[in-house]
Amino acid sequence: MNTEDKNYLVVDQLVKWFGSDRAVNGISFSIEKGSFLTLLGPSGCGKTTTLMSIAGLHAIDAGEIRVGDTIYTSREKKIFLPPEKRDIGMVFQSYAIWPHMTVKQNVAYPLEIRKLHADEIDERVNKVLELVGLSEMAEKLATQLSGGQQQRTALARAIVSNPRLLLFDEPLSNLDLKLREQMRVELKRIQNEVGITSIYVTHDQSEALVMSDEIIVMSKGRIEQRDPPLAVYSKPVNEYVSQFIGVANLLKGKVLSEAESGKGKVDISTSITGLSCDCLLSSEMKKGDEVVVSVRPENVSVSRDNTDSSGIEGKVNAAIFMGNCVDCRITSGSYEWKVLTHPRENLNEGDRVFLHLDPEHTLAVTP
Amino acid sequence: MAQAIAPVEPVQTWRRFLTQETIVTVIVGLIVAVAVILPLITLVVSSFLVLDDLGFDTEWGLENYILLYTDRVIPKAIFNTFIISSGTMILATFLGVSLAWINARTNCPWADYLEPYNLIPFFLSPFVGAIAWHNLASPRIGLLNVWYRDFFGAEGYLLNVDNLWGVIWVTGLFFTPLVYLFVIGSLRRMDPSLEDSARTTGAGLLRTTLTITLPLVTPAILSGAIIVFVTSAGEFGVPFKLAAPYGWETLTTQIFTKAVGDDANHYLGATMSMVLGVITVILIWVQRVYIAPRSYTTVTGKGFRPNVLDLGKWKWVAFGFNLSYIFVAVVLPIFCLFIVSLHPVWTAEIIPSDMSMNNYVKTLFWWREDSIRAATDGIINSFILAFSGASIAMVLALVVSYMIHRTKGFGSKVLDILCVIPIGFPGIVLAMGVLVTYIQTPIYATLWILLLGYITRFFPYGQRNIASIMLAISEELDQSSRMSGATWFTTLRRITIPLLKPGIFAGWVLLFVIFLRELSISIILYSTGTETISVGVYYLANFENEALTSALSMTQTVVLLICIYIFRRVAGKEALSA
Ligand SMILES: Nc1ncnc2c1ncn2[C@@H]1O[C@H](COP(=O)(O)OP(=O)(O)OP(=O)(O)O)[C@@H](O)[C@H]1O
Ligand SMILES: [Mg+2]
Repeated sequence: MNTEDKNYLVVDQLVKWFGSDRAVNGISFSIEKGSFLTLLGPSGCGKTTTLMSIAGLHAIDAGEIRVGDTIYTSREKKIFLPPEKRDIGMVFQSYAIWPHMTVKQNVAYPLEIRKLHADEIDERVNKVLELVGLSEMAEKLATQLSGGQQQRTALARAIVSNPRLLLFDEPLSNLDLKLREQMRVELKRIQNEVGITSIYVTHDQSEALVMSDEIIVMSKGRIEQRDPPLAVYSKPVNEYVSQFIGVANLLKGKVLSEAESGKGKVDISTSITGLSCDCLLSSEMKKGDEVVVSVRPENVSVSRDNTDSSGIEGKVNAAIFMGNCVDCRITSGSYEWKVLTHPRENLNEGDRVFLHLDPEHTLAVTP
Repeated sequence: MAQAIAPVEPVQTWRRFLTQETIVTVIVGLIVAVAVILPLITLVVSSFLVLDDLGFDTEWGLENYILLYTDRVIPKAIFNTFIISSGTMILATFLGVSLAWINARTNCPWADYLEPYNLIPFFLSPFVGAIAWHNLASPRIGLLNVWYRDFFGAEGYLLNVDNLWGVIWVTGLFFTPLVYLFVIGSLRRMDPSLEDSARTTGAGLLRTTLTITLPLVTPAILSGAIIVFVTSAGEFGVPFKLAAPYGWETLTTQIFTKAVGDDANHYLGATMSMVLGVITVILIWVQRVYIAPRSYTTVTGKGFRPNVLDLGKWKWVAFGFNLSYIFVAVVLPIFCLFIVSLHPVWTAEIIPSDMSMNNYVKTLFWWREDSIRAATDGIINSFILAFSGASIAMVLALVVSYMIHRTKGFGSKVLDILCVIPIGFPGIVLAMGVLVTYIQTPIYATLWILLLGYITRFFPYGQRNIASIMLAISEELDQSSRMSGATWFTTLRRITIPLLKPGIFAGWVLLFVIFLRELSISIILYSTGTETISVGVYYLANFENEALTSALSMTQTVVLLICIYIFRRVAGKEALSA
């Protein structure tokens, strides 16, 4: 794969102000052709603003955005390509289905703009409606559609012209839970099939984990981490990411010593008196650095007795049966651990137990 | 947990029926029904009564309807009405849509400040507007024509508003806010992503505007256009001032001559009112049934601001356009009225040395010997009518809204329909109905008949004002009061009314304004001693001179402007869009 394809879309030092606040604060990233990238972050962190900047729906205050060798917008070079020249498809949170047109008219619109022959329009519209499973609905007015159907129409309209980029702004957030889970899979399947490079905005972490090739975690207009879903989950770079994605036990600490191959010992006595633990350090961490130790609940193992006397003593505070696992709250000292155990461990409220941390899954991250 | 259940005493049915709620409901329902239905029935019946040659007896027949197209004047009047309504509709729609678009969707400078001024004509009297424009642009004494002759040394005139075009011009200017309000609401509520998605699919700005934005606001434009058509067909003052004296009769001016004066023929008047009424009912029905439901106001719950178009240098053109509208619709007419009113008689020449406030003295100071009774009585009567009318109408509106939106019984459906009927119904038609109904009763020739006409015609405006708020506040607030043991009346007094207070007051001021400038009903129902301000203006225009007329017009305008200011302070920016 050449670099052209590797850096298909490039966003370089993008800045956008709204009045006196910076909604996007100099972010840079690039996407490989055909991949699916998710912008993930809490409400108000600038995801929509980033997407709108790529779509050209507003001007930017600094930076550059280009796709292939086309510059979409560049503050420095004073270039601004209007949205209709950018060749993108976009699915909005409100779907934005035009209520005065039928499903078919909605989907045909981008092709009509491109002045395709009527027969070809018909053929492509039918094909794409079939792809999203709306062939029967073609003649219905948008106002007669259910939420899920509107969603599919919006998707069909976005991909029908085979654009260079596909942008999604929280497309599933208006659907109910069941439909949302079903549409996730569906969306991903369709994206795979058409192979259009996609950027997907959401604040739902499970959506991001399920669908993306790569995830960018944002907060306050900045990028915190960019990695494939597994890495974002298992190797968060800082405290913010580890608590935003999934659930983590976080303990403040200080690096005691560094060992070979990124391992080391961290003193966590501020959280649990007199305790230190072995964990993975990132390369730039030095002895004496303030860090946060992050352990996922499923990576803590529990035993009844303390055979090698390395366990952390604790008392089960609550044990909530969830079906395939038991969600336990275990206190040791003043710290309360979140631990997922197997139902056959049969832990009950009040039990005394010992916790064991696996150094391979215990991570020191920057606070 | 076994507990003895006390046997319930079976309440007698008539007692259960006799609650505060049902009593008030039935009484108010009957009042509304009688007030609305009776004049309409009498109107229909009268239209089939034919006056004999001597003018004393009547017999059943269709002669009145035959006259509609055999008479010398009436067919022409119908045709002229059609021309005026169509022309006004085109002008007001063009102005209303472009102003709404400029204000809602472009970066026109100071749009926030322009907005309230765009709405002012909505509150002023078109009749007074016609008087002002007559003094500005009639061929001989029009100020603009005088200046034109002075500056260019030309002969003849530049502008002439004493014809159908003049009527269209003035009515169009005054009814522009009707279209404006419909369209601007629709433009503002539109989800911007509807347009954004068209842009991303490759449609340019022009194409997006034409294929997405315009179709989406079309229902609002059509609604506004229909309302303007109907309202201008029922408008009396403007054609009476600018068209009838120059040989262009309209339906309303003809109805007027049949209602009062020497060759009065109420039955023929009723028949002509039927024409206007039927046209109105059909068009309003089309608007409500076919057009209003098609308005695609997409409310997604996400707060958004509409897309704003950067016009570049053209924004100054847009600004100039908007300013010109305010200038010709508000500033110029008021300026002209003021200038004319200062002269003893208007000779089409501004003579600073002649200027005085004498005309105001004559029309305002009712205690003086030389005061003109029609004017001074008119002012007093109008204030009495506006104050009591607005108060009664709002009480009625409150109870009726409550019954429609809270009680939801059988009566509520009927009431809802009754309240819709008078909306958009030409005042002059309703007044004909009231006249033929009550002419034999003691209330004829008193202020009561005017009050009855005003309230019947306009209380639905107040009702809608209240209903829109009532629908917005949860019914559960009322219900929880009933749960806590309050009676229906206490709930109304302690919970419902306090919540609705801003709406009630806004509605009150709106009706006060409408009543202060009312002409078409008053002109049919007044008699000596029960003139209103607008009738006073009519009297002065007919029997005195332009200068005196302008003085009273100016007075009315100033009072209305003050009311508008209060209305805006009370009701806030959004009040009118409801
Ligand atoms: N049109 C605007 N005018 C002023 N401020 C804005 C505008 N749009 C966004 N902002 C501000 O910019 C910041 C980022 O907004 P943005 O819409 O990008 O957030 P988001 O990450 O998409 O959030 P959400 O998940 O709620 O959609 C917010 O603080 C917001 O208040
Ligand atoms: Mg957003």
